[in-house]
Formats: sequence, C-alpha cells, structure tokens
Amino acid sequence: MSCSEPEGRGGDPQQTGVVFNIQRFSIEDGPGIRTTVFMKGCPMRCVWCHNPEGIAFERQLMWFDVRCIGARDCLEACPNGALELGRSGMTIDRERCDACGRCADACPARALELVGKDYTPHEAFQEVYRDEAFYRNSGGGVTVSGGEPSMQPRFVAELLRLSKEAGLHTALDTCGFASGTVLEKLLESADMVLLDLKHMDPAKHLELTGVELEPVLENARMVSSSGRPVWVRTPVVPGCTDSAENIASIGRFIAEELPSVERWDLLAFNNTCGSKYSRLDMTWELEGVPLLSAEAMEALAEKARAAGVPEVCWSGTTRSS
Amino acid sequence: MEEAGALTARELWNPSPELPPRVSQLRDEYVDIAGRDHFRNEIMPFTTGTEWDTVWSPCLWGVVPDLFPFHKAFMESLPMMATKVDLPGDFWDKPLVVRAAIFFSEVVRNYLPVQILEGELIVGGHFNVALSRAQNRKEARSWRRATMKWMKEMDFLNSHGMGNAGATPGHLIPDYPRALELGFKGLVEYFRGLGEKAESRQQKEMLEALVICCEGARDLIRRYASEARRLAGECGDEERAGELLEMARICDKVSWEPPETFHEALQALWFVHMLVMVQESYPGPGLSPGRIDQYLYRYFIGDIESGRLDRQRARELLDCFWIKPNYAYDFMYKVGRTRGITSGYGQLITIGGHGAEGEDTSNELTWLILDVIEEMNLLEPKPNVRLHNGTPPELMKRVAGMIAGAQGAPFLLNFDEASEAALRWQGLPEEDIWDYAPVGCLENTLQGNDRSGTVDVNVNLAKAVELTLFDGKDQATGDRCGPRTGDPCRFGSWDDFKRAFETQLEAMLKRFMEVYDLSDSIRSRFEPTPYLSALVKGCAESGRDVTNAGPEHNFVTVEGVAFATAADSLSAVRKLVYEDGAVTMDELIQAIEDNFEGHEKLRQTLLNRAPKYGNDDDYADDVARYLSRFWTEEVFRHRTSTGRRYRGGYLSWNYWIAYAPSTAATPDGRRRGTYLSNGLCPVAGADRSGPTAVALSLGKLGLESAPNGDSHTISFNPSLLRGEERVDKLAAYLRGYGEKGGTALQVNVIDPETLNEAQRHPSDYTNLLVRVTGYNAYFVMLGREIQNEIIARESHEL
Ligand code: SF4
Ligand code: SF4
Repeated sequence: MSCSEPEGRGGDPQQTGVVFNIQRFSIEDGPGIRTTVFMKGCPMRCVWCHNPEGIAFERQLMWFDVRCIGARDCLEACPNGALELGRSGMTIDRERCDACGRCADACPARALELVGKDYTPHEAFQEVYRDEAFYRNSGGGVTVSGGEPSMQPRFVAELLRLSKEAGLHTALDTCGFASGTVLEKLLESADMVLLDLKHMDPAKHLELTGVELEPVLENARMVSSSGRPVWVRTPVVPGCTDSAENIASIGRFIAEELPSVERWDLLAFNNTCGSKYSRLDMTWELEGVPLLSAEAMEALAEKARAAGVPEVCWSGTTRSS
Repeated sequence: MEEAGALTARELWNPSPELPPRVSQLRDEYVDIAGRDHFRNEIMPFTTGTEWDTVWSPCLWGVVPDLFPFHKAFMESLPMMATKVDLPGDFWDKPLVVRAAIFFSEVVRNYLPVQILEGELIVGGHFNVALSRAQNRKEARSWRRATMKWMKEMDFLNSHGMGNAGATPGHLIPDYPRALELGFKGLVEYFRGLGEKAESRQQKEMLEALVICCEGARDLIRRYASEARRLAGECGDEERAGELLEMARICDKVSWEPPETFHEALQALWFVHMLVMVQESYPGPGLSPGRIDQYLYRYFIGDIESGRLDRQRARELLDCFWIKPNYAYDFMYKVGRTRGITSGYGQLITIGGHGAEGEDTSNELTWLILDVIEEMNLLEPKPNVRLHNGTPPELMKRVAGMIAGAQGAPFLLNFDEASEAALRWQGLPEEDIWDYAPVGCLENTLQGNDRSGTVDVNVNLAKAVELTLFDGKDQATGDRCGPRTGDPCRFGSWDDFKRAFETQLEAMLKRFMEVYDLSDSIRSRFEPTPYLSALVKGCAESGRDVTNAGPEHNFVTVEGVAFATAADSLSAVRKLVYEDGAVTMDELIQAIEDNFEGHEKLRQTLLNRAPKYGNDDDYADDVARYLSRFWTEEVFRHRTSTGRRYRGGYLSWNYWIAYAPSTAATPDGRRRGTYLSNGLCPVAGADRSGPTAVALSLGKLGLESAPNGDSHTISFNPSLLRGEERVDKLAAYLRGYGEKGGTALQVNVIDPETLNEAQRHPSDYTNLLVRVTGYNAYFVMLGREIQNEIIARESHEL
C-alpha cells in the first residue's frame, strides 16, 4: 500500500490495534453489507453491554466448556500455573494469567481462546478489503466499532484512511464519550457516523454507563455539524432506557440539535450474552430480564417518529405474544 | 410414500388459499394420490410379446444405486405385467431404430390411456410407461450379456463407496421452440426433405423413424381431441362444454399444425414434452423445458395485445400447465420406492437471463411465472432464475423477496457470467452460449442441441483419499480398489502424497469411464429413442440417434462427490503432517483405522488446526483449487467411444449421504458414517466466516472449467432477512455472488427451531419446502437422517 505521510492525519501505519473481532457480512452496522472491525477497550460500562469482551483494553482468556475434551494440554502449557481444570470446569486465575495465549495454542479443541488480537492497520485493511465486491453491490463498506474505536485513534485513523483510499465506504461507530479532537481526526476518513445515544437524564446516564452525559452530547453536536450523515442508535433495555419519556427526549435532542441525523435505530434488548460474562468471570446483571414485546418496540418507535426524526427503525429479538 | 408415515397425501400438500377454484381443485386432486382411484399415472409396461423382450434397462438407472437390488425383479416382472402390442407384419424386418419408432407410435396411437380430468385446461395425463426396446433375439442376447457385465462392475464400485455410473435418460433440453414453431407437420416436412437428399442407409432409416414417431404423436393428440369432444357432449354445464370444445379444437390443431395462441402453445408444449418421457420410459428427471419465458413470450404477448387473452386467464392456464409435470411422481406409486431426496425429479424451467447482446430479457411472462411458482407451491417444474449483471433491480428484489419469505418453492439461481465463462471454456460456440439453460438440478447446457448427460458418472473424491492412505485398498474390506501407490508412511513429502493421490484418482476415473462407456454403448446400440431424436438438433442431420452422439454437442459430466471432504483432507495432510509435523502419518492412519476411537485429541487437532475450505482462507482454498482444477482438467481429456466428451462437475445428489458409511474416516477429522460434503458446499460446520467468505472460496476454485454441476447451497437464518432492508441486502449479496462466487446457488431460509418443530409435528408443516442438492423437497417427507442433516446444517447459523 502507499506510504503517504501519517502526520497531521493522526493515523500511524506502525501502530497496531487490539481487535476482538472482524465480522464479515455484517448487516446491522450501517448501510449495505459491511465488515465490522471491533476494537477492544471502552470507556463506558453499560450494564446491558452485550459485548463484554470489548470492554477491557487488555487481552483476555475465555474457556468454552462445550468444546473442552479434557485433554489438559493447556495446564502443561501455562508457564504461570494460572489454570485449573476441576469438576466444575476450568478456573482461570486472572491475577496470574498474563494472557500470553500459550494455553490456547496448545489446546487441540480450541476450547481456550484469547480475545484480542494485534493487527497492523494494513493487516486489518486486507481482511476488510476481501468483501469489496459485496460492499460495492450493496452500498456497504467497513464499520469500525468496539468497544470504542476512538480509544485506539492512531490505528483506527489509519485503517479508515486506507479503506477510504481504496474506495470503500467507511463508518465510525462511537459511543460518543471521547476526546473531541480525536473524534474530529477520525471523522476525516469516515463517510458516516453511527452514534449511540442511551439516556438523556444526566444522573441516569452516569448510573447506567459509568460516564457523564454532557461530553456525549457535545460530541454529538460536533459530529452533526461536521456534516457527516449520522445514524443514531439507542439500545432499548427494560427498566433502563425503555421509558417513553427517555425516547421522547432523545428524539427531541436529535430533532432540534442534530440536523445531519438521517436515521434512528432502536435496538431491542437481547439477553443471550450471559455466557460471555461468565467466560470472562464477569457478572451479567440483567440475568432473567425478559425480552421486550414487538408491540412495546412499535410503540416506542411511534414515540420516536413523533419527535420528528426523519427515519426511525427498530430491530432485534422480541418475545412472542 | 413410506417416509411420510401416518400422514395422508392430502395432509402433506396444502393447497394455497388464493388459487382459482378450478386450479385448487386440480391441485388437491393431484396431491391426493391415494384417493385418486379414477386416475393414476403409474408405470405401464408394453411388450412386443417375445420371450426375450426387454422393457426395463438397468443401465438407465445406474446412478440410482437404491434401485440396484430391484433390477432383476423389474427385468422379470415388468414384461409379465406388460400389455402386448399388436405390431405390423413386417415389424421384425425393419432395422432397430425403425422398430423402436413403430413400437412407440403404436403404443401412443392405440394403447396409452387417454383421460381428461374435471376442470383441466391443459390435457395429457398418462405418460409413465416402460416401453419394449423392440429388440430381436440376437440384439436382446447381446444387450443382456453387456448389461450383466455392467451390473457386476457397478455393484462392486457402488458397494465399495467408489461411485456409480450409467447412461441416464433426461438431463437435456430438447428443441421445444422449434417444435412449436414448425408443429409435427413442419418437422415431418423437414425430415422428408432431408430424406430425399440422404445418402447413407443409416440416415434414411433414421429419418423414416423420426417421421413415424411424429405421426404417432399426432394420433395420440387427436385421441385427446375426440375425448374432449365426447366429454363436451355429455357435459351438462354449458361453460365447461364450451371449454372442452375449445380444447378439442386446440388438440386437433396442435396435433399437426404449429400453435398460434398462448393456450395452444402451452398445450402443444406439454404434449411434446410428455411424449419424451414416454419415449425414454423415464419419469422426467432432468428433462428440462429450458427458457420458457423466452420462447412462450410471443404467444403470450400476441394474445394479450390482440385482446384474445387477459392476464388472469393466462395465469390460470399456466397454473393448469404447472400441475402436469408433477404427475411424474405417480411413477412408482405401487412399487413404492421413495427414499429421502430421491423424491425429486427435476423438470427444470428457466426464466430471466439475457439475450445475444447482453440485454436483459426478462419480460411480463417472467413476472407472471414468478407469481405462478409462488401460488402453486409444487415440486415441479423446478424453477431456475438466470441472474446477470444487467438483471433489473426490481426483478432482483422480487427474487430475493421470494427467497427471504421462504414461502413457495425455493429457487435455484444461476449466474450468467460465471456460467457462460465455463461453457466457453469447454469450447461451445459463442453464438449459442448466451442462450444456455440448466437441466435437472443446476447443470448448464445449450438448448436443443446438446446431449448433456450431466449426472451420468459420479465419483467419490473422498474415496481417492482413502485409497491413497491404504495403498489402493478399501479400508473396511481390504479389497483392492486402486493401484499400489505405496505405504504413505514412507512418503517423504507432500508432493509424494499428492502424486499418489493423483494416481488413485486417475485410476478411479479410468475405471468409471470404462464402465460408463459400457452402458453408453449398450444404450446407443440397443436402445434408440427416435422420438427424442426428432427434437434434438443434429440427429436428423447426422442420421444418428440422440443416444448415439447424434446431437450437435455431446457431453457426459463426471460429478466429483464429496469435494470439500476431499479438499479439507488434503489440506490437513499437507499442513499438519508435512508442514507443521503436528501429526505423523503413522498416527493418522492408525486413527483412521480405529475410526478415531481413542484418538479424540488427534481428531480435534485435525478439526481445529487445519485450514478449512469455505472461509476465504487462502491456504485451504489453494488446496481446494488444486483439487478442482486437477479434477476438471483430467476429466476433460477423455471421450466416450461414441465420441461424447467428458467434463467435470460437482453435483452430489444423495451420494454424500449414501457413501458416508462406505467411506473410511477422513483426515479432515470426519468419522466413517458422518456425511460427506455436498456439492461444492464446505464441510458442514467447517465454514465459520459467513456467506461472503463462502462465496469467495467458491470463486477461487476456477469453476470456469466446470460448466455444469457446481452445486452450492447456502442457508440463511430467516431472522437475518426480515424486513425490506434485509431483502435488499440479500439481493446485493446475490449480485456480489454473481461477480465473485460460483455459477449456481440454492438458498434455504429456515431456522433450525422450525425444522425441529416440523420433525416433531410434521402435520403442521406439510408445506415446508427445503432444497437438497438441487431438489426441492417437502421437509416432512424426507427421511429422518436427511432431516437431521439439514437441521445440523441450518443450525450453524450464517
Ligand atoms: S487443552 Fe483444551 S480441551 Fe484440553 S483441557 Fe485444556 S481447554 Fe480443555
Ligand atoms: S494465557 Fe498464558 S498465562 Fe494465561 S492461562 Fe493461558 S498460558 Fe497461562
């Protein structure tokens, strides 16, 4: 690829990024058929997060009970004695584990997996470029998501730049809690932005996501004023973000302050990520929370439309009846 | 139909609610085979009455191994059940091809029952027959000797899981447009004209036979005219009586003259087509009408523009036409052979595509046919849509919407650019290529002049891996099936292994070509089908029958079965044995002998540490491409003794299941008995990178060297395709596939939960159609093991 100057663009071809997944045929992250690059590390701590493996910046080990055949090669491979395979399954001593990945390499069954892999921008770009024909035919492209991509700005800027230079449509998926300057840099090579707006009540926002609301709104205004098309996304989580009032006030904010928003997606809460939490020795706090009904989602979408946002869609799994 | 268990046929086939009453009544009547005492299109044997007569030819069923155990019984019992046909006094003085023609004509003229069903607008009901081959004693003796020899060899090859081969009827597209344009009258005039100029005796005899066949067809159709007139006379309902009189007029006309209206053309087409099934004594598998939205369009639009016909009536006529091919399934009603996916026959129609200048040729009839496909929801005729880079977005969307809705028959999609590149590669003339169409499941051929024989030889590629590992011996029996290529533990490198594999595969191929050649020469010498020859360009002109390389183009496809299983096995050996040294050849062979019992760790290594085809992984795809190109190029170097050229393909019909128990465990980690891979699909569960990656892997195989039989099925979870936006994405995916993927694709859109439910409560899911190897099948009618396989496939969600 070209070796044009990274200076002034914020991108750095040498800067590796920690990626926890590159998802092809991604049809929920912007227009068309896309590949989504999920960056590891996020400043928020949303209670409903369905990608808990994307929260920590560090690489993490996961063990899949269904794949394990009990061959115990991993135990021998570990230089730190961090693993224990007992009757109730594998225990990973996270204090001792330094995520070297040797156990995962040793396991014939791929029952251990190290989440988080280093890529150079060029390597990631090459992966992304494979589906070029599908992007071209669908109006799709690459979406950089996370975690929060702006936490690895130099890698992300370079990946976006390479993609754009190759004629791919680029989207930046951000939670909005980021340095404004960094976001501005990233916007240079982003054709559009997917922006999360979760709650409009500052106290609630802090409680549910662990961070202040104001910087998110500030960035939202900045992104909109850059003129990039924006798709807003709101996770609709029972008891957290699903009040009609919350949806209405997000709607008002969009209608009044974010003129470049083209579309607003309401994403129905999904409860299938519990096992991911346990694999990471984390707690899934929404255990047992039921799915929303399609009627409830439809009603919220109506509310959203009433606020004057041009296009409102909802998607996700809902409970039957 | 035994697999259906306690279900009655009526429960199995739900009528669609919006059909016109006439159509829904006809449809109900068709599906209720048990209650249909007044009409069944069961196999009817006809004999010359000699004690040596042949009415059943095993070679023609060589690719249906399920039937092998029954051949002897059929050969003996069918002549006993057969109706003796009165033949002219000089019958035995005639050459075989003329005898065959006379026999065909006499049967259809005097014996084939003629029956018109209540309400139908397109007639022509009885066509499942077993015709005498009209052989004299000497011919019959030679036929028998050769047939026995073929059966013995075929039994060995099949029982050792190596494959099967036989000169199979159907699997071509006759020149129906020409038959419609000229009528039998025009054809006969043409044959007589040629006859005057003909110099060879062979050609003169041939042309005489063709004329006899056309005259027989004419007389059968006139019997339908009389029957319609008789019914009109008895009919109390004035409107129906009027219809019957009109049908009588149409039959009279198209019995000899070319059709001019849409109704006439549909009626003529059905007769011409139905009689091929009579002639071949074969219930239609792969006998495909080709691009009907193209050659029927002039009749359709002529009627519409002149105001003779409205769209509603046109649709009703098409509905009535649509039911007819399904009656092929009555063939073995009593004989009762229904196992799993063999319940699919494949009279494939093609719509869409482009013209000679690359222009899109979809038209109003294309759209109407799509509606008919959707509302009829029947197994036949099987729909194929040709897609190309100029397919209009609305059509793309309509097709994607039908697929995503999982309602109605699932489609087969053919991608013109890749398909045509392959037809070009095999040397077909440029001016014909654009007008290609598929037959059977998805095998591309030219229309009207190509004896394509697309399913005639099936070779288990995974068996070649087994023979390489065991020095040419079958692992289970120790029987020698291939040459001695040495103990693989002594091979020093991947190249040595590869060479041994190639030697085994070449030897298998040679053996299969020999046995196929035998069946092909049996058919060409002793089983001419002059009526079909009258409909295929080249036969009259060359004086050679369609079974004897008479057509302008003559091919036989050798389908490689278990492609991905073989490719992944080679990848695993290359990577883990010769590159990484993670596995030794010794351990590998031991583990395979033990069917991986006690070698789980090794098996997991093979499953997880070797690259797998289907993930857009260049390592695995390179090996797969090597296999694909080696296979197709090797096959393409050979011809039959009748002069037909062999070409490679990858259809696996049901053999990927049938040969699972007779194929040893494989180095990709598969146990003996686990199904082999199907068509060009990745090994079930091995593709983990989504549908774009699968498409790209296929695209890397170099499929321009495999013009037919590039069978690929992909499954989408319906939740992925919900909503209009998603349908657009599916349409875009199909465009991308056309650009980068394979030549033909079948899409299943069903979630595993639904399938599980359907297995538990079959009666609630009678209308659930799925695609298996190019065949539409009702899920609840499939054998349990195939059902399970489909569920497993759907479960690994894309
Ligand atoms: S090596 Fe893998 S399969 Fe074996 S015990 Fe460890 S995790 Fe389980
Ligand atoms: S990642 Fe490294 S340190 Fe952690 S458990 Fe595995 S081998 Fe031990």
